[in-house]
Amino acid sequence: MKPVDPTHLWQSFQAELQEVSSKPALTRLRDRYLSRQRGLLTLQLRGLGRLAPQERPRAGKSLNQIKGRIESALAERGRELEAEQRRSQLESERLDITLPGYLPPQGRSHPLTRVRREMEEIAVRMGFSVLSGPELELDHYNFEALNMPKEHPARDTQDTLYITENLLLRTHTSPVQIRTMERQQPPVRIVVPGRVYRRDTVDATHSPMFHQMEGLVVDEGITFGDLKGTLELFLRELFSSDLRVRFRPSYFPFVEPGAEVDIECIFCSLRGCGVCKRTGWIEIMGAGMVHPRVFSMVGYDAERYTGFAWGMGIDRIAILKYRVSDLRLFFENDLRFLRQF
Amino acid sequence: MKIGWNWLQDYLDLQGMDSDRLSVALGMLGFPVESVDETGDGRVLELEVTTNRPDCLNHLGIAREVSARFGLELRVPDLSEPPGRVVANPGARVSIEAPDLCPRYAARVMSGVRIGPSPDWLKRRIESVGQRPINNVVDVTNFVLYELGQPLHGFDLDRLSERRIIVRRGAEGERLATLDGEDRRLDPSMLVIADATRAVALAGIMGGMETEISGATTDLLLESAYFEPLSVRRTAKRLGMRTDASYRFERGADPDMATKALNRACRMIREIAGGSCQGPVIDEFPRPIPAREIRLRSGRLTQVLGVSVDPDFVEEVLGRLGFEPEPQDESSWRIRVPSFRADVALEDDLVEEVAREYGYERLPTTYPAAAAVGKFSGSEGHKRRVSSSLESCGFYEAVNYAFTNPGREEIFLGRRTPLVPIANPLSEEHTHLRSTLLPGLAESIRHNLNFGNRSVRLFETGKVFFRRGDDLEQAQEEPYLGLAATGSVHGPFWSGASEPFGFHHLKGVLQMLFRKFGFEVEYRAAAGLPFLHPGISAEILREGRRLGVLGRLHPRLHAHYKFSQDVLVAELRLDELYGRNLEDPAYQVLTRFPSVEHDFSFLVDKSVSFATLINAIRGLSIPELRDIRLIDLYRGSSVPKDKVGLTLRLTFADAERTLTLPEVKHLSERVFSFMRRELGVEGR
Repeated sequence: MKPVDPTHLWQSFQAELQEVSSKPALTRLRDRYLSRQRGLLTLQLRGLGRLAPQERPRAGKSLNQIKGRIESALAERGRELEAEQRRSQLESERLDITLPGYLPPQGRSHPLTRVRREMEEIAVRMGFSVLSGPELELDHYNFEALNMPKEHPARDTQDTLYITENLLLRTHTSPVQIRTMERQQPPVRIVVPGRVYRRDTVDATHSPMFHQMEGLVVDEGITFGDLKGTLELFLRELFSSDLRVRFRPSYFPFVEPGAEVDIECIFCSLRGCGVCKRTGWIEIMGAGMVHPRVFSMVGYDAERYTGFAWGMGIDRIAILKYRVSDLRLFFENDLRFLRQF
Repeated sequence: MKIGWNWLQDYLDLQGMDSDRLSVALGMLGFPVESVDETGDGRVLELEVTTNRPDCLNHLGIAREVSARFGLELRVPDLSEPPGRVVANPGARVSIEAPDLCPRYAARVMSGVRIGPSPDWLKRRIESVGQRPINNVVDVTNFVLYELGQPLHGFDLDRLSERRIIVRRGAEGERLATLDGEDRRLDPSMLVIADATRAVALAGIMGGMETEISGATTDLLLESAYFEPLSVRRTAKRLGMRTDASYRFERGADPDMATKALNRACRMIREIAGGSCQGPVIDEFPRPIPAREIRLRSGRLTQVLGVSVDPDFVEEVLGRLGFEPEPQDESSWRIRVPSFRADVALEDDLVEEVAREYGYERLPTTYPAAAAVGKFSGSEGHKRRVSSSLESCGFYEAVNYAFTNPGREEIFLGRRTPLVPIANPLSEEHTHLRSTLLPGLAESIRHNLNFGNRSVRLFETGKVFFRRGDDLEQAQEEPYLGLAATGSVHGPFWSGASEPFGFHHLKGVLQMLFRKFGFEVEYRAAAGLPFLHPGISAEILREGRRLGVLGRLHPRLHAHYKFSQDVLVAELRLDELYGRNLEDPAYQVLTRFPSVEHDFSFLVDKSVSFATLINAIRGLSIPELRDIRLIDLYRGSSVPKDKVGLTLRLTFADAERTLTLPEVKHLSERVFSFMRRELGVEGR
């Protein structure tokens, strides 16, 4: 084997390394230079013995240096090839990420449930407990005990669906006030959400079945001021923290003094629009101090205890919050509608 | 109630005030303005007057409210007897035979009246409140009605037999042709005005045709009475009538106004239609109505309103409203209630009067101390668990009306069911209360399919109603959960087709729901459910009680609703779910030792249900057998017709140690040989 200039060997290796573009080719190149039997460099190292003794150390050192360089060049090229391979593998796995995702099945609760829950949550945060009562109700609880004896003119405004003379579909959730006060002594601090019925024909703003939430606070020292503060806070939580709230005198047989509660029109902020009939205000609920006759019906001492009550329509709140134009949509169960909540 | 801006100024000097400011003020007094119209007599406000304030169904009443609010002087028109000589004979005789229904009846005879059209100013006034001018006498009675709130009626005196008025109950079978042209059948529950021979008017509601004032009338009898509110209300309701007169009488007129309004009308008729009062006022007042006196304590004002109100303010505003407050001691008044305030009976009614005048907006805003932590209702957690489970399975919550009718329920249920009827239904569709949620859900599915939603999953919770025997008052309500689903399980996804939502998908939804409640239930092939496919329906049982049903709608109903794809439904009694306490989960120790799975494929007779297989294996009570799962089921060509091929995956584990392979093999062999022996399965 003729000795070769190590520098030439290195240069020819480098030139060949340039051509290598795959792992097998890299292995072949390694074998060509470094294989134990026939590697070009191996042979040179093996030929060292034929050199003059004084030349051997220098030539050996030079050859070993070249060997080291070849080995590290091979290793580096190997890593490069691996990285390239990984890259092209990943590239081949590329997806069109703009394709639509597979939507898991999803359902939602009804907008009326959503509003009811929101109202309940506010009430519970304010220290109210949530109660319920029957939808088939006795005339006594729906009317009589609420200071609306038979043939009271106020009954006209709550046209009632009767089952028998004594049994009816409750027209409001107020009977639960009475049932609760019959059962427990003050303090009382409750809200009562529920389904109510009126003898109304279905149209965009009327429904024979709708939903209400009633509230009742009874204790010593409860005043009309507490009514104002509580309801204002409740409505601000429900709509917005700077909502303007207005209290006007009104009449409900089971309260005295009675009040109608208005909120500023959320569509026009008091400027006046179609929704608020140009008044800037929207009627949102009836309220008042519990009538002493109601207290005496349940055996509470009206001299010792005072209280306030209110009732508001859940459907009406939903209409305002979600700007739904037609009450019937809540009872059609159209997915195009239900998906929006 | 229509209130004319110009008309109101007859009683008030509204200097400098405009109708917008007045509208706001009226609203804050409890009389919201619903609309404003321009009429021939200027601007007219449509006010909402609550049922407790009949005294404000007229201009003077509203003027009184405004005068109190703004401290204005109220100019009451002259209500004294018209001047002039009268003969001693009143010209007619009045007798009250039913004083319980008619505490007061005043009347006056006028003669020589010339009936004709009203002057223009009067016509405009009458038109401004939405009425049609008729003739000068009728227009005056209407004017007085809208001015003072007292309904008056004029009779043609010559047509009153014997010139007599008898206030009595109607006779059975008696008839009266009322001014609206209807022939009314009377009975003893109704109060009528009669002459010597027959009924001539429905007391407090409407006059009769035969005694109506006509162009030929010269002598008339003017009636001004006070009728019992309840009697007027009952009669008007029974006859389906509502007139301006009945509307006021049934809410409570002012008994003191009877003669005053009569005086006012006579003065105006003399002026406008001529004629004269023949004799004195006839005033039958068998049951004088005593004035009410109420004690008002300033302490009560503070207790209810949360603010201490200046006593001078109390006296002044109550005085302007027509009350007569008389200080009784340092801190209370004895207050005489005016006759027109039928609504004021208790101290708190006076508290409201003070609060109205003080202004709700000026009352303080405070917060009651909270004595306890607020709590959701006992079933709220259950409700949320139900809806979140179902929502996560793709179900939307539906709300249907609770009404139904027997035809609809019978078509659906396939049998007649006793329903709770509504005594006074409003429509033919809504005559009864539903006994099941499913027809409503099926109709909602149809609605959605019609609008192009092909995959629909709905759930509804709501009350259903049942009769218990013949006594309707024993009717019961119960909360139910209904589910209905149709379409595909998922998608459509672009990667491939989806399978249709079928019985076992719905069953899986229910299984998940029950798991969330820690409920063990049993499914049994259902019989006798005519609304479900007989081979694809199940009863769900819990501890032997029926919890609900599940299945595919019967083909009969698919045809009825025109469904071209399978619709699955389920219905559950929620009391069973809600009745269970939601306990915190108790953690079970995780075994540290690996479990081993063993699959077993075999053929079994079609007649052997999966539940039979599983229960049999469970019956072996092998403690190491932790789970049995069906991972494959096939009925292909490779399987004999009467067989079905199953693959079960058995999972074995031990809490204390790792099971060895021979042990697992031994346990599996126990299961498999048992199944071969007892259930005739053939391994594959």
